[in-house]
Amino acid sequence: MRLFFSAMLERHIDLLFTDDAGGESPAATRDRLKGLFPPGSTRRMTTLGLLVGAGLSRVDPGEDDALVYASGYAESCALEGFLGSFPTPSPTLFQTSIHPSAVQQSLIGRQRPIREFLPMSGSSLLAFHAVRASLLMAAPRCVLCGGEERGTWLLEHGLASGRTFAFAAALTRERTGAAIGTLGISRDGGGGALGLAPFFDLLRERKAFDGMVAPGWRLRLKWN
Amino acid sequence: MAETPAPIRIAACGCVTPFGDAQASHAALIRGECALRRVPVLGNDGGDPVPLALMPGRPLDETAPPGWLSSVKGLAERLPPGAWGSPGRPVFVTGSNFGVGGLYALGRTGNAAFASWGALPTCTEQLRLALGWGPDVAILSHACVSAHLGLLEATRAIEAGAADEALVLSFDFLSPFVAGGFHSLKILNSEFPAPYRERASGAIGLGDGAAFAVLARGRGDWTLEGQGVYNEMHHFTSNRADGSGFARCLEAAAGAADGRRVWFKGHGTGTLDAGRLEVAEASRAFPGSPITGWKGSLGHTLGSCGLVELAIAIESVRSGIAPGTIGGPGEPMGPSVALDNFGTRGFDGVVCASNAFGGAHAAFLLCHA
Repeated sequence: MRLFFSAMLERHIDLLFTDDAGGESPAATRDRLKGLFPPGSTRRMTTLGLLVGAGLSRVDPGEDDALVYASGYAESCALEGFLGSFPTPSPTLFQTSIHPSAVQQSLIGRQRPIREFLPMSGSSLLAFHAVRASLLMAAPRCVLCGGEERGTWLLEHGLASGRTFAFAAALTRERTGAAIGTLGISRDGGGGALGLAPFFDLLRERKAFDGMVAPGWRLRLKWN
Repeated sequence: MAETPAPIRIAACGCVTPFGDAQASHAALIRGECALRRVPVLGNDGGDPVPLALMPGRPLDETAPPGWLSSVKGLAERLPPGAWGSPGRPVFVTGSNFGVGGLYALGRTGNAAFASWGALPTCTEQLRLALGWGPDVAILSHACVSAHLGLLEATRAIEAGAADEALVLSFDFLSPFVAGGFHSLKILNSEFPAPYRERASGAIGLGDGAAFAVLARGRGDWTLEGQGVYNEMHHFTSNRADGSGFARCLEAAAGAADGRRVWFKGHGTGTLDAGRLEVAEASRAFPGSPITGWKGSLGHTLGSCGLVELAIAIESVRSGIAPGTIGGPGEPMGPSVALDNFGTRGFDGVVCASNAFGGAHAAFLLCHA
């Protein structure tokens, strides 16, 4: 018996934060964002941790919200540093390099527990998978965040992002007066793909989208 | 009147450890065997000998293609046939350290052949191609609760009608990257782990492992109830000392178990504070339930432990006997800690729990359908 159906899964976008660090140096990013974190807490934070943390500080996930985090390569610079620390591996860089460190750096720093936290990785379908996870969450409010940081030698091997960016969006089941858009997926024919960086660009530019993002799945992003 | 949908069940489940499949792993645990052996923490690069449970014949050092691929392929041969990764049949790959062995080897040797199996997305893509899956392969990675999240996400996808059935596949194979990392934290040292036992200092062992579960509506002999998670966000490597985070996680499983007799398969890595906390909170949530843990033999299979140990828990219920807590010596951390094997016929289910960095906790109640 085939149960797979075509109803749309949808949530409203209540809050959205995007940050495209472009060619900014890690030091400049730290200097720009450090005011959003408790004094002294940014010294060991990664660039991605700072960017994702800045987004989370604005959308402010509560304990009973759900949180979905998407990053293909995560803490690339901490990974590079950890690998470079052998044969005496650094415990700090080991902890910092473990997925999903970027979110933990921020929420541990602010002592903010959260019941459901779903950290994801991936490549060409990562945006679809993260959106699907967000729309499947039981919590009335779900925060969808993600990002990447530019690597150095790992990037030369195709094992890190070439861009530095982050986003955080608060998604609600019920439409509120603050809703700025809607995000939904539904079953459809055909194929497609949508990675994290193109999804980020759609959010950053507040650009509407209606297209296939995975085999059998259509994504609709509308702005009010 | 709308038809009530059939309940979601585990239609198939299996694992592979250094002992073999779930049946062989269960049998070895029942015999009290230990898969851990002392291995130089950095493989060919040497270092302190630490307890690791590696697949037979597999060195700690990464090869290209990886030596562990044959284990995962062998496991995948036991999957129900079908177009996994296609619309309606998504795959959820879970784990915490896959790919990093390739990164370590790439960093040490500069050999670009390691790059195609390095990092989570590239490693998963190579595996997807090797197993002939379609593209709908999501990756969930949240350290040692990763497999639980895959089961939760798969359940939700089916519940919402976003999937007909779903495959959760988890794999973690050791490398100098992860062994060196845990050694740097000093919890992986020359001592063998003794989960849920009092001793002068704690120690863990690490293990290779992979497992799968197929979830579907109305098919299979096993149910997952009361799936719960909680993230304390208190400290990178420690839990809240009062146990409140783990207690919050257990609420859903305790609610599902209400009035039923259950036993408790805990995380039990061998660290002291976490072990005491687990025993205290499990005893509080499930009074009188025996507590057992198997990482003293299998080692900690990291992000895959929740699924590897689920497969062994199923085998325990199926066979009517559960392995006791392996590893010693030392006094048990509480009267509920089961050091000896025990019968499962008198129980209605088993609560399976895992705990992770960042104070992340996950648990569910496994019952026979």
